[in-house]
Amino acid sequence: MKKQYLIILLAVFLIAFFPSCKKGTVYKTLIITGQSEHNWKASSPVLKQILDGTGMFSSEILITPEKGGDMASFNPDFSKYKLVVLDYSGDSWSEKTNKEFVEYVRNGGGVVIYHGSSISFPDWKEYNEMTGLGGWRDRNEKDGPYVYYRRNELVIDTTAGIAGSHGERHDFEVRTRITDHPITSGLPGRWMHGSDELYQQLRGPAKNMQVLATAFADTAFDGTGRDEPALMVINYGNGRIFHTTLGHADEGGGPAMQCVGFIVTLLRGAEWATMGSVTQEVPFDFPTAAGVVLRPDFKEINFEEAFGNIGSYDIQKSTKYFTWLQSQIRKAAGDEKALLKLEKKMVNILTDKEASVDAKKLLLREISWMGTEYSIPAIKGLADVTELKDDVEFALTRLQVVK
Amino acid sequence: MSKSTSRRDFVKRSAAAAAGIFVVPHIIPSSALGMGNRTAPGDRVVIGAIGTGSQGMSNMRDFLQLKDAVQFVAVCDVDSIRLAKAKETVDAANKNTDCRTYEDFREFLEKEKLDAVSIALPDHWHGIIYTEAVNKKLNVYGEKPICRTIKDGQTIVAAVKKNNIIWQTGSWQRSLPNFHKGAELAINGRAGKIKYIEVGLPDGGRGIGTPPVKEIPPELNWEMWLGPAPEVPYRGVSHWDWRWILDYSGGQLTDWAGHHIDIANWGAGLEHTGPVEVSGTGVYPAEGIYNVSVEYDFLCRYANGIEMRVANASRLKLGMGTTWYGDKGWIHTDRGNRLSASDPKILEEVIGENEIHLYKSEDHWQNFIDCVRSGNQTIAPVDVAYRAISVALLGEIAMTTGQTIYWDPEQEEITGNPRASRLLSRPYRQPWTLPTV
Repeated sequence: MKKQYLIILLAVFLIAFFPSCKKGTVYKTLIITGQSEHNWKASSPVLKQILDGTGMFSSEILITPEKGGDMASFNPDFSKYKLVVLDYSGDSWSEKTNKEFVEYVRNGGGVVIYHGSSISFPDWKEYNEMTGLGGWRDRNEKDGPYVYYRRNELVIDTTAGIAGSHGERHDFEVRTRITDHPITSGLPGRWMHGSDELYQQLRGPAKNMQVLATAFADTAFDGTGRDEPALMVINYGNGRIFHTTLGHADEGGGPAMQCVGFIVTLLRGAEWATMGSVTQEVPFDFPTAAGVVLRPDFKEINFEEAFGNIGSYDIQKSTKYFTWLQSQIRKAAGDEKALLKLEKKMVNILTDKEASVDAKKLLLREISWMGTEYSIPAIKGLADVTELKDDVEFALTRLQVVK
Repeated sequence: MSKSTSRRDFVKRSAAAAAGIFVVPHIIPSSALGMGNRTAPGDRVVIGAIGTGSQGMSNMRDFLQLKDAVQFVAVCDVDSIRLAKAKETVDAANKNTDCRTYEDFREFLEKEKLDAVSIALPDHWHGIIYTEAVNKKLNVYGEKPICRTIKDGQTIVAAVKKNNIIWQTGSWQRSLPNFHKGAELAINGRAGKIKYIEVGLPDGGRGIGTPPVKEIPPELNWEMWLGPAPEVPYRGVSHWDWRWILDYSGGQLTDWAGHHIDIANWGAGLEHTGPVEVSGTGVYPAEGIYNVSVEYDFLCRYANGIEMRVANASRLKLGMGTTWYGDKGWIHTDRGNRLSASDPKILEEVIGENEIHLYKSEDHWQNFIDCVRSGNQTIAPVDVAYRAISVALLGEIAMTTGQTIYWDPEQEEITGNPRASRLLSRPYRQPWTLPTV
């Protein structure tokens, strides 16, 4: 009886305080797919996995009739959702569905336009106003100007010409252009994106649109030599649209969808489109100019996983668990309880005979400045390990200089 | 001793040197003798070089370009290929084969009797080798940043002061007219009272992941290259690219602090003080052995109310360089002889006789030689260099800890934060220790 009571108490405690149990509303989300030049069968489940993985969205995938099918039967009730994600570029929807979608957005519904959906519905005026920019399907100057950056200035270019193209896939750098938007606030100014199609020469009405980030279309990869829009936000009526040109899908997602930059901007864009604000923190593994960072399983590293893996640290495989730890220490700054919790975990690994020497070396470096008296016995206990002699001394010297 | 050496003595001593006999310094800095003992013009300063990589050789060429200024007699490097190339350059300039070579700076400092030494090493070596050289009473041309940690910097400054030698920091922008003029206009209030300064330094670049452990090249003494830094296996990263690894450098931020932060201090009268409060954020790569911040952005507040923002260039409207913002406008200066202002008329302003005239040098290396001869202060003295790099190092500590750092620029210590205080120094790997002054 007593035991059961304890278990209940423990459960209550965990629900209330366990940090990964996110509180708050779950946003009902509709992912529309079913027709596309792209591999929608690969991309749509990944989109769902990314969105639902946060606990913030709960999404359903709705597959439209096949190409040439009876689109009249495609008539979702948009009003049931807070967010609609389009992974679709195919046959026109029925007029009724179009009208209801426009109504949904005008009334404040959130929309994410993903990669190939930039191509959709060239003749649907409202859709093009929602996407801001589009390409292909005979779009040209009649559909609006080119929009891009040149020498750090936004250019609206009405020159006649085709709309939409891309060179061969490659890793490329994305530049944040507007840093004070909720989606991009706190993101690096420059980051490397995993091998993707770089959409360029997009044109459209570009009304009520902000280009949040651009990608440099290098001529070495058949690019325009311009900084082309990669992430955009558009206001339409009371609705908010996040348009990402990134994320070309391979089977299982591939590097463009596994890219942490893609995942995180998609999630932040989705939250902004839904609520107009962003509560998600920028994760430690957001890529930088230094290189592409992938999440093959699309998930963010969590506390248990990180400490479970640090002990078997092998620099040749990955340094990410350590950069994660450093980011956690920074985040805990000024909070003695949180710092002690981290320190205890670190000491557990120091005293773990199975943990690698390399892991202990790096932990000793961190502990040397953030540690307390608590660590000292564990550090001293490593004094006899020949490979750790210097590192033990390093840590003890620093810890004892300023207590 | 009271008379400076003549040309003839110099020739004699060169011959002695060639015969393997070590010479005594032939120019006695007047700082050591008391002022007024100027060396006869035409006498060369006998100089050696420690660190003969890209920057070391660049400095050597700059010295050799000066007419009758220096006589290089010895070089030291832990890379035998670089060492041989340096000797070749010196021998070609001297038209002989006498340049002595050393792998170990301790032997170099013990055996060589020089007037001056030009030192260009990875930052993690600065604390030890600068202090040792200064303790030998050598005049030093030392590369920026002068230290990897604040503690190293304090030691070097104390050594220079105690030994009363001539020190020139490789902050050569000071000897270029646009930087001089920009700073002089700023300090004389041509943009009004300075309230805010922006310093743009380069963005970080691409990483290399973690390359596999490689065989140490036969020409490189890896153990000596690492010196006081933690022991790590060789992965092909040593020359030049050490600056992307925190054990040796703080990245673009600390590499460039000795330039644009130094210029900012010069034009704002902050050369002899430091900020009282520093806070900001860095962006660090999640993967790979290059672990310095690739983006950085921090704000320093000074006791007189001035604020200085230091950030990677692409975050700032005016990008690279130094911008002083006063209550009447701004003045910006950068490499490429750039000097601009909110109102072009500011740039035409003449500085009056009774206003502040900043130290003028037209050649950074000549300035050092001139000062070695005259005993005068150089344009980039050590304490000023220490104040410039301190800004970056305090920024680094703020970014590492995720906290606002409170700094006492008089006592030169962090207040109320033992964790941050520990980051003011880096313990050295045995047998290395920071020399006592």
